[in-house]
Amino acid sequence: MRDNFLREGSEADQSVFLGLPTIEHPDDNPPSLAKLELGRKLFLDRRLSANGTMACATCHLPEQAFVNREMQTAVGVEGRSGRRNSPTLLNSAYLTTLFHDGREISLETQFIAPLLARNEMANPSIGYVIENLRSFEDYDGLFETAFGGSASIEKMGQALAVFQRSLVAGNSPFDQWYFGGNDDAVSNSVKNGFELFSGAAGCSNCHSLHQTHAMFTDNRFHNIGYGWMREQDRHKGERTVNVQVAPGVHYEVSSSVIESVGEGRQADLGRYEVTQNPKHLWQFRTPSLRNVGATAPYMHDGGLSTLADVIDFYDKGGARHALLSPWVRPLHLTAEDKDNLEAFLNSLTSENLDCLEVYARSGLIDGNRPQVAPSLGTTREP
Amino acid sequence: MNRREFGLLSATWLAAGLPTGLRADETCQSPYMPKITGHEEFVYVWTLGVEGMGDGQDKLVTVDVRPNSPTKGTVINSVSVGGRNEAHHGGFSADRRYFWAGGLDTNRIFIFDVHSDPSQPRLHKTIETFVEDSGGVVGPHTFFALPGRMLITGLSNSDDHGGRTALVEYNDDGDYLATYWMPTADDMRGAVAVDGAVADGYGYDIRALIRKNIMLTSSFTGWSNYMMDFGQMLQDPEAMQRFGNTIVQWDLHTRQPRKVFNVPGAPLEIRFPWGSNANYAFSSTALTSQLWLIYEDDAGEWQAKAVADIGNPADIPLPVDISIAADDQTLWVNSFMDGKTRLFDVSDPHNPKQVYEKVIGPQVNMVSQSWDGQRVYFTSSLLANWDKKGEDNAQYLKAYSWDGNELVEDFEIDFNALNLGRAHIMRFGSAALYA
Repeated sequence: MRDNFLREGSEADQSVFLGLPTIEHPDDNPPSLAKLELGRKLFLDRRLSANGTMACATCHLPEQAFVNREMQTAVGVEGRSGRRNSPTLLNSAYLTTLFHDGREISLETQFIAPLLARNEMANPSIGYVIENLRSFEDYDGLFETAFGGSASIEKMGQALAVFQRSLVAGNSPFDQWYFGGNDDAVSNSVKNGFELFSGAAGCSNCHSLHQTHAMFTDNRFHNIGYGWMREQDRHKGERTVNVQVAPGVHYEVSSSVIESVGEGRQADLGRYEVTQNPKHLWQFRTPSLRNVGATAPYMHDGGLSTLADVIDFYDKGGARHALLSPWVRPLHLTAEDKDNLEAFLNSLTSENLDCLEVYARSGLIDGNRPQVAPSLGTTREP
Repeated sequence: MNRREFGLLSATWLAAGLPTGLRADETCQSPYMPKITGHEEFVYVWTLGVEGMGDGQDKLVTVDVRPNSPTKGTVINSVSVGGRNEAHHGGFSADRRYFWAGGLDTNRIFIFDVHSDPSQPRLHKTIETFVEDSGGVVGPHTFFALPGRMLITGLSNSDDHGGRTALVEYNDDGDYLATYWMPTADDMRGAVAVDGAVADGYGYDIRALIRKNIMLTSSFTGWSNYMMDFGQMLQDPEAMQRFGNTIVQWDLHTRQPRKVFNVPGAPLEIRFPWGSNANYAFSSTALTSQLWLIYEDDAGEWQAKAVADIGNPADIPLPVDISIAADDQTLWVNSFMDGKTRLFDVSDPHNPKQVYEKVIGPQVNMVSQSWDGQRVYFTSSLLANWDKKGEDNAQYLKAYSWDGNELVEDFEIDFNALNLGRAHIMRFGSAALYA
């Protein structure tokens, strides 16, 4: 089913789609306002974790572009360590595979993994979650209204999927220039950065574009050397880590001290863990670059703090080893090139992120997502 | 008042037939509450459950410390509360009949009846609605008794699990009364930033100097960090940027923030002295390993300054709990990473000097001393995911006597061997309070 549901708002509401393809809804899960509001409620509900401390929104914070900018890798129930950085939910409607390793293919079923993962929401079973949902008085009638039946695993997934498909963010300055024809929407630095991105640097080989829209991902898996490099780091001997203890105060801390109070980072073999195909070692799904300026830290484990760090990594040709993607090679970028690339990446930030924050926290206003309203987006108490 | 004068005063109280209990209570309590008469009889240890150990639940453990008891130095009672809640701090109500203890993770508050039978506390009530009551505060930490009320510091909030938080007030029945959000740079709530301090809105401890109407709060970090694996966090530059760097001065009676002081590196415990003219408080910064003095200057203005290093700050000894002697002359300072306790002479609060140190164990966290300073108790656990790993994860209560020169171990209880869990805060109990 082609999406018209979210395009029924005002002209301003429709503008968020500039630069984006049409959303494809599954035929067996057409969107509705009732599903949307139910999915939003489920997304924010901390009672859906084993001990009532975590909601989906705990790791995918509406105020932080649906990531958590305050940690590299996610922390789950009872503080259990995740291996990976929380990916943004923005524009997840367009992804053909989900998670960094692409182990899931549908938003309707994706939610099961974090609900049950011991180091995420840690529920004992899906049946337990559904039984709880049926007992919560504030859910009385919501599933029935949305689906014509009581809560079930299938309906829960469908409601969450409809909500996630509504988190659409296009209409960035880049879109206004490239697809909208507004030559003043971006600086010359952005334009030069895009020329490099889609030309000599070869970034768009994987972070791809189409003539009428761009998701900046080929939805495929590549080994850029980063995962392999992090695995080598894990086996390094004694070393020191620069630790900030206060603003402007840093100390070098030995790895033995860190290991005395830490469980240690676990191995992450990427796509291989899904397919068991040795060729897929350290491959990860190409992330969309939309809103990348708002979703630090970067890479599958959040190990790079800034876009400049990421550009430096690619400029050096990634990390060379036998399975490195042939697309990744030394780029020999100048300082100006790097600045231009960073400017281009920052031009991919949509203007409606504040709007989506308010929408995710507070819901629909008169049946429409709230318009961009910075005053609403900045006045909430925590 | 120095230690000799304090001793003379105690003798005077004895001769005058005044209550003699000031000889034996722990020192770091709300000044509103009654004090134990005689020797402390029980040490209550709020203990974190460990998955796969015993019943795996958090529990309030009662240790017998009565001098002539046949069970002295042993666990005589344990009340499990269900779940692992990240048991951390607790405090008595102002009438000392109930002990409130919080779970930093689940936000549950457990109120134990400690007066019906002080040797066997029982769970009286559980507050399950702290987050909803308070409007989104997470991590109930310090429980500071006011007459008929309990003032609770939060550590985090339910929206982003970061450090922005508030003070939350309940009455003694456990009914919610009010929330006071900490000042931030964007919303100072009437407070003034001192010397370029950036109000971070974080919270941790709370203490008050009643006769000056001064209340101080310190600042730690949010749920995302205090629940995170410590080693993982030290290597995460995003996470390490999110620690408190402030102490806030409040008007005690109106709960109005007045000043925000720059105290970088996560100031934790706050201790006011007891002397009638002592207008200052100490705090220690966990990450920068300094002792700080918050004091009233000659012009009547309150100020903050670092007055001593604790060990070598570059080694990050991680000072945690502190305990001030009742005569205001000395301060015990525990540091987690090196497992040491250090005694500072603070007779000149502007120039503390370390006069003693001893390794208590591979890790050490809380310290509580009796009012006469002759008994000092230590426990081991910092946070469930910050404690040391492997053999260094010793979990204990250790009791020492202090003769002014040396700590001599009286007894030790191995919380691992007894399948109890991680030993955290201690509070003293006695049947004599309710006779």
